[in-house]
Amino acid sequence: MRSNRVGWLLLAPTILILAVFGIVPFLYVLYVAFHQWNPFGANPNMIYNGADNFRRLVFDAEFLTSVWFTLKFAFFAVASEVALGYLLAQLFMKDSPGKGFFRTIHTLPLIVAPIVVGSVWRLMTTPSIGIIPYLLNDWFGYDLNIGRDATSAFVITVIMDIWHWTPLVTLTLLAALVSLPKEPFEQAQIDGANRWQIFWHVTLPMIRPAILATVFIRLMDALRTVDEVWMLTGGGPGAATRYVGLHIWKLVFPKTDYGYGSAISVIVLYLTLVMCWLLYVGLVARRDRKRPS
Amino acid sequence: MKHAADLDQADEEAGTLAATPERTGFLPIVTNWFDRVFIGIYLFVALELLWMRFLEQAIPLTVCHVLALALGALIVWRG
Repeated sequence: MRSNRVGWLLLAPTILILAVFGIVPFLYVLYVAFHQWNPFGANPNMIYNGADNFRRLVFDAEFLTSVWFTLKFAFFAVASEVALGYLLAQLFMKDSPGKGFFRTIHTLPLIVAPIVVGSVWRLMTTPSIGIIPYLLNDWFGYDLNIGRDATSAFVITVIMDIWHWTPLVTLTLLAALVSLPKEPFEQAQIDGANRWQIFWHVTLPMIRPAILATVFIRLMDALRTVDEVWMLTGGGPGAATRYVGLHIWKLVFPKTDYGYGSAISVIVLYLTLVMCWLLYVGLVARRDRKRPS
Repeated sequence: MKHAADLDQADEEAGTLAATPERTGFLPIVTNWFDRVFIGIYLFVALELLWMRFLEQAIPLTVCHVLALALGALIVWRG
């Protein structure tokens, strides 16, 4: 019992911080989600309206489109980051001249604030002054204009996210790869396994927890991305890059529709949890926890 | 050493208390009660949203509340 008391005492600061900055705001957002509240509207009071905000969002084409675009964005960004991050981590495992220098350079995007990343990419992709449209036009005759072409704008937002966050994936997977014991690899080599078999049957199962944790972190980040995309495209052209975080921002701040914005926030949290849980069940729980009944 | 042994024993006891029984029901994975409550809430919200989108014009939402709660209870007890 004494040990439990000490344990709770040591956990108390964390629980307190989690409650004040996590649970209480969440409960408040949940409360607001069941109200109509526009403090700068005709009636500034908070009025209980039951599930009307949720009823509104299931018919809101703009919201549903933004969810679809966000899912596409998250899928392409996270999948590319994990694949590229793994390849780079494998590269950093090998001894080569300039490895330390390249590793430092490669990690630099992580320390740049997202709003700055958005600004830099906006400068690089602005037609007539940006280096990317210039080079694409010079080399391939391709006219890149993310203010006009929806597909280009979407692809550039994905590439920007990959550029910004692949180093995080690389570092995580590098830490996982470095910590692996040598014996299973030596045994596999003695048994005559080729590189692909070693990767599939030895490396991948051993770093699966690290991959899963990285995918969770990146998936959650990608689903709530706002500032980079806001700076780069402002959600345009049209609504082509109006991801759900940006959609919520536009509802809550310029339109001050707090009730509806809160309802969408709750649903986005729900979708994020569902996706992470399905991913967990698909990759871990079914394999590790399934037992004959 | 005695202190370390006490802590080990206490940790073991705490672990035993914290562990919740896992079982296999009709769900395709082994779950504890928290997993089943979690799944119940997921399905409750999903059912409510889908009902509002496709069925509420014809069947009132109260029916969905009852069905969703029954499904949640079934998952918690038998899942």
